[in-house]
Amino acid sequence: MAKIFIYPATSLILSDLVSRHGHTPLSSAVAIRERIQTAGLESLPLQITPEEPKKGLKWAAVEVPAGVRGRMSLYGPQIEQCEAAIIINDADLAFGCMGCARTNELIKFLLRQKDIPKLDLNYPKNEEEGVQFVAAIKRFLGELKKREDTK
Amino acid sequence: MTPPVRIAQLSCGADYSGVQHEIDTAAHEVNGEIFFPDIALKDIRRDYDAFGLDVKSPDLKLAIARAKALVDGRVEADAVFIATCFRCAEAAIVRNELRRFIHENSKLPVVSYSFTERTTSGTLLTRMEALTTIARRRALLARETQQGITLGLDSGSATTKAIVMKDNKIIGTGWQPTTEVLTSAHGVIETALAEAGMTMKDIQAIGTTGYGRFLVGKDLNANLIQEELTVNSKGAVYLADRQHGPATVIDIGGMDNKAITVMDGIPGVFTMGGICAGASGRFLEMTAKRLGVDITELGPLSMKGFGGHVPMNSYCIVFGTQSLVNALAAGSTREDVAAAACHSVAEQVFEQQLQEVDIKEPVIMVGGTSLIEGLVHAMGELLQTKIVVPHHSQYIGAVGSALLASGFIKDE
Amino acid sequence: MTDYTPTHVGTVTKYVVVESFEVTPADLAIRGYEISNGAMIKETCFGLVVNGKEEEVDRIVTELRKVDPDHIFVKDRGFPPGDSRRCRANLGGARPGYHGMEYEMTVIPYVSHGLEELKKHDAATVPAPADPLEHPALDVVTLKKLIDAQES
Repeated sequence: MAKIFIYPATSLILSDLVSRHGHTPLSSAVAIRERIQTAGLESLPLQITPEEPKKGLKWAAVEVPAGVRGRMSLYGPQIEQCEAAIIINDADLAFGCMGCARTNELIKFLLRQKDIPKLDLNYPKNEEEGVQFVAAIKRFLGELKKREDTK
Repeated sequence: MTPPVRIAQLSCGADYSGVQHEIDTAAHEVNGEIFFPDIALKDIRRDYDAFGLDVKSPDLKLAIARAKALVDGRVEADAVFIATCFRCAEAAIVRNELRRFIHENSKLPVVSYSFTERTTSGTLLTRMEALTTIARRRALLARETQQGITLGLDSGSATTKAIVMKDNKIIGTGWQPTTEVLTSAHGVIETALAEAGMTMKDIQAIGTTGYGRFLVGKDLNANLIQEELTVNSKGAVYLADRQHGPATVIDIGGMDNKAITVMDGIPGVFTMGGICAGASGRFLEMTAKRLGVDITELGPLSMKGFGGHVPMNSYCIVFGTQSLVNALAAGSTREDVAAAACHSVAEQVFEQQLQEVDIKEPVIMVGGTSLIEGLVHAMGELLQTKIVVPHHSQYIGAVGSALLASGFIKDE
Repeated sequence: MTDYTPTHVGTVTKYVVVESFEVTPADLAIRGYEISNGAMIKETCFGLVVNGKEEEVDRIVTELRKVDPDHIFVKDRGFPPGDSRRCRANLGGARPGYHGMEYEMTVIPYVSHGLEELKKHDAATVPAPADPLEHPALDVVTLKKLIDAQES
């Protein structure tokens, strides 16, 4: 079972397909859950306090907007942990946790810098592409499984 | 209890910077309620495309679509708060364009703000208070003449001012540097009353504004305790006799600056604070001290000089003073240095703050710094317009308070 | 600053989304309640939200998937069901993430189709989708054809 960073990290489709094939998706929800299940000072609504943008300094310098650094405090640790990544490149309408283009550029860059298996896709636009999309993910995840089994 | 003022938030990054809670708290303190205009994905796609600004961040697309829903009247609101991350260029473009779009196409009061993780509810409070005042107290702000005998008090960060008015005329004034807030307030009231030949018993209504407004307002049992954005706008158009049509009010204060676009005496778009001390009245005070002149002499001195000879444009009061010292050491004249200091402050307010509002003529400068001719001259040059400085402009908050307070005089 | 004391610590929450002609969220809810065994299940317009201990939630999700495997999709949720911090009624409008899900719901029928087809075919035989990172240059043969077309 590999930890797979999904992009967009809010994706229902990727989250489902990854767990359907027995792997663990690393997603926004998992990072937010950790925040809201940790005691501390109240900071509605996401329990992201002004401390999080400071933690984000590990991935982005102080002149980078606070919103980018705050988001990186969620995704930075997941990018470090992940063993593979599936990236949908035309995810232009993923809001909220994926609502900042600058953060998204940085996430993708950090994933590309990392020496892990990656699968780049676009959202399917028709049924034929739907089949190709699901098949590509199935093959990718199957390969990961095989690699794990041979370890 | 009156229902809360519904403030629509258009933003990107507030949740992730850890400041959403601060925004909610500031709104709550002035009986406002933050909400997010409800739209569907199809609205986002259609309205974002129609707006025509091609941004990459999905949350900015969402903000654009929500702004369209407000302007089209599909979602009802009393006011709009636009907030994005400080230092994000993409968001800054959206923030400015949305502010302009809403201002030009609706009657909703708008304030825009760029936050960092250090933004607190205290910083946002005055802006939120102004937003809720404009939304809730339009009738009060429509007042154009002062009636009866009223006292206005402006407890500012640098100076405290009092005004006594009777039948639409100023009959008493008081001014002193702010030390202990209540002591300074009582001091200026005493002076103003003495000049007016009256006692507190004669006063029919009291209004307070400025940083110390709550403390002083409570002490005086004031009828009106009001932030300085709406009060100063009102005072400015009243004194300048520009109560109808558009105007822009600029107030470079001791601690922060205000720039307000006004229509018929009611603020539409405004910005407040936001720059370091190098762009404040305090820097001019330090300049005067360093040049060995009284602050009242800085204006005439600067009018004799030419600022272009002296490099000076620091945000920071420490570095600004350093430039000043260097210039004097290098042989610059006091006149040139005084002119450069005035230009430096005006330029920074112009670059940093006036871009956040729409400049509409006449431009009215108020507050103590409006008496420094060099500063007014420099601002006029930057804006390419003749700036109006009304009489009693240094008492602007106190005059606005006295004017608005007369709305609270009960019919005998 | 107020202290924050979390609730639902040690639990997980998952969305179970159904996009099917045959199964409605209400059908899924009935099945969910039958097997809930103490886990919290909330019905929504697009499916269910399930909260409980991880093993328990996983067991329920596995069972629910069986109802219509190619048309039921599952993802994690950060907040427990009905949390006021994410509630539309409290926020005035939908939380931003909702619109992202709204978008993916327009794509999901293609994914469902893919899942159905791959039961019939081996994934290895399906051609790879176009690589979004590749921006192929015009090949020489096509370019020649274009030039010829212009000249004729």
